[in-house]
Amino acid sequence: MPSVSSSEPESIPALAAPTRHRDNPFTRSKPALIGFAFLALMFLACLGSLPWTLTAIDSSVSEVPRYDTGDPKSGRLPPQWWPYDNIDTQRAIAAVDPIILEKIATDHNTTIESILDGSNEPAAKAALAKAPTFILGSDTLGRSLATRLLTGGGISLTIGICAAFISVGIGTIYGAFAAYMGGKIDAIMMRIVDVLYGLPYILLVVLLAVASNAMLDEYQSRSRAKANWSINHIIQTQSPDPAQPITKSKARIIFETDPILQDDLMQQAVQIYPRRVFTTGTRTTLDVLTLLIAIGGVSWLTMARVIRGQVLSLKNQPFIEAARALGSPGHRIFIRHLLPNLIGPIAVYATLAVPQAILQESFLSFLGIGVKPPLPSWGNLAAEGLSELNTFRSHWWLLFFPCALLGLTLLAMNFVGEGLREAFDPKRSR
Amino acid sequence: MTQATTQPAMNTNKMTNVPLMEVKNLAVSFDNGSGPRIQAVDGVRMTIYPNQTLAVVGESGCGKSVTAMSSMQLIPRPPGRFDRGEIIYRMKNGKKVNLLTMTEQEMRAVRGNEIAMIFQEPMTSLNPVYTVGDQIIEAITLHQDVTAKEAWKIAVKSMNDVSIPEPEVRMKAYPHQFSGGMRQRVMIAMALACQPRLLLADEPTTALDVTIQAQILELIKDLKATRDMGVILITHDLGVVAENADVVCVMYAGRVVEYANVYNLFDNPRHPYTRGLLASIPKIGTEHDRLITIDEIVDNPEEFKKLPGADKGVTPWWPWNDAPDDLVKLDQPAGDYHLQEVAKDHWVGVWHTKGVVGDESPPPHLNYRVIDNA
Repeated sequence: MPSVSSSEPESIPALAAPTRHRDNPFTRSKPALIGFAFLALMFLACLGSLPWTLTAIDSSVSEVPRYDTGDPKSGRLPPQWWPYDNIDTQRAIAAVDPIILEKIATDHNTTIESILDGSNEPAAKAALAKAPTFILGSDTLGRSLATRLLTGGGISLTIGICAAFISVGIGTIYGAFAAYMGGKIDAIMMRIVDVLYGLPYILLVVLLAVASNAMLDEYQSRSRAKANWSINHIIQTQSPDPAQPITKSKARIIFETDPILQDDLMQQAVQIYPRRVFTTGTRTTLDVLTLLIAIGGVSWLTMARVIRGQVLSLKNQPFIEAARALGSPGHRIFIRHLLPNLIGPIAVYATLAVPQAILQESFLSFLGIGVKPPLPSWGNLAAEGLSELNTFRSHWWLLFFPCALLGLTLLAMNFVGEGLREAFDPKRSR
Repeated sequence: MTQATTQPAMNTNKMTNVPLMEVKNLAVSFDNGSGPRIQAVDGVRMTIYPNQTLAVVGESGCGKSVTAMSSMQLIPRPPGRFDRGEIIYRMKNGKKVNLLTMTEQEMRAVRGNEIAMIFQEPMTSLNPVYTVGDQIIEAITLHQDVTAKEAWKIAVKSMNDVSIPEPEVRMKAYPHQFSGGMRQRVMIAMALACQPRLLLADEPTTALDVTIQAQILELIKDLKATRDMGVILITHDLGVVAENADVVCVMYAGRVVEYANVYNLFDNPRHPYTRGLLASIPKIGTEHDRLITIDEIVDNPEEFKKLPGADKGVTPWWPWNDAPDDLVKLDQPAGDYHLQEVAKDHWVGVWHTKGVVGDESPPPHLNYRVIDNA
């Protein structure tokens, strides 16, 4: 008999084992909780501050929104808690309002020049105290990086989440439907995916973006409505016999060959169909909307394939046949038995799709199709920061903070995804 | 097992003397891609009565499962196809229907409600993402117009019926927390929750160990008796057949080769294939240098000359033998074959020879139940 030390607890029969306490697997996972807290904070900060960052500082003075407000004189200043070197100090002092500078100069019995070159130290210190400060530094145009990061975060997260949502939604429904139907329908649907896979996705995004731009332009200028009105006007006024109006094509020829008439008609048409005007905000919103639809609309292909594979293996599982044998109708099997079994891969893919969409957005912004400056996104802020990195003088904060935020957010999302996957898996180990 | 212990079942309930389901001349084939269609089932006939266990035995691929699945239209079509035949089923309301020609919508009212099925793999036959309670309740609400509370009660009761301890607690457990035997019990509870009149048990105990196997079979037996339910037990375990079946149907290559009550079949096997099957079982207590194979018996021509009426040319059908010279081939699938009643209540698949023509017996119907005198 093996000797049992007295400190070891005696074993109990299996039947007497206490009921195990099953804790929530999501809250048990520390990384998932930390990631979730970080994401929640990020969302609150970025999206919650949008009403603040998107409005002007003082709308009576200027309509320029806060994220785009800056004085080039105070450009490229490091974070206020970072030790300024001589050059930084001089530039900071130079950014001080000249009236205040003059007052300091008279107070210290010195000239503005001596303050600027730092020869009068007490005066320079007093001036520096009045210099503009930025909690995370300023960019080349003197705009606060912190404000721009908040706005950019709002844009990036919105695009990331929405695009991932669209891509997961389309991909899941498409892939699951193809696999569930099987046979010819499956073959045709998946060949379409193959063809779309073959096309460079940038091309698709550009096409979608350009097409939506053209549609928006048409909506604003109403050129088709104007042309139609002109043609109808010609038919009504120039027909020799009202009972027998001239044909549309003839009217079009008259319209196109007579420039004086054309100008005249167009001027009248503009009166009837004035140009629709979007506010900057509306246009920006529409642009972002286009972008996220374009990204979501092309990145569902992988999702469709993943889900199709899962459904193919699932639908041959005996429990699906058992459900049929119980008399469940097809759509019920699809919704009740197939989809819940797909939550794992969907959760994992969705958390991967969000960072992917954010990265794609920054790439497109870099190409000039995405978020257009001055509207910031983490992607184009990082791109700007990279161009500010040089051996002579590195404005490191312009690159570091956008990248840090992007990286931490993506990491947090992966942790949350892992936590979710574990939570949805009924076969989890504990 | 002796003839003396048996007697025809004298059931006071009239309904038990009316066939529950009749499979008539069923033929099912499958598309084989490039080659010719595979005839999985060809001219199968069988009859099942209430409170009767019909065991369908045969080796893998002989068409046991295809026959059962056909009666629930669970054969994927295509590639499968019902070539001909019909499966006549008497519904709860007494209406007779042909299960093969019903629409998917009509079938849904049959599946689970009239005919239920339990599968070979209890490990994978339950959806892993729902609790077992949810799944039983789903089966109930599919066919019965009950509230969630009532469904819960019915589910607990059916869990109790299949002897699952603490059913209220187990309702909230997930399938992976159950052992194989428990899962099979849950499958049976699900199948029986809607009071079906016919249970198709497709190798219900193959994946279970022997003690659990005995428990499950005993359970099915009890439930059959208490509910007057017909059971089609598909298996290739002759021990299970001897213990549980009332009537046995031996299949080979998609056809019924022998059909008799369990005592007649085991005591007096008429078809060489059945004799081969029985001879190949090792017997405890006897010494074997080597076991007898089925081939040894079916390859022996003498074995085919033992049928009653052999002098008239009634020869057991066997796909690997040449057809007799006096074969009268009918112009239909399986036209060279007939399921002939060679002795009273004992059918054997024979060649459709001149000796059979004009003397064809009706399809097999055995309203017979083993009386357990235990």
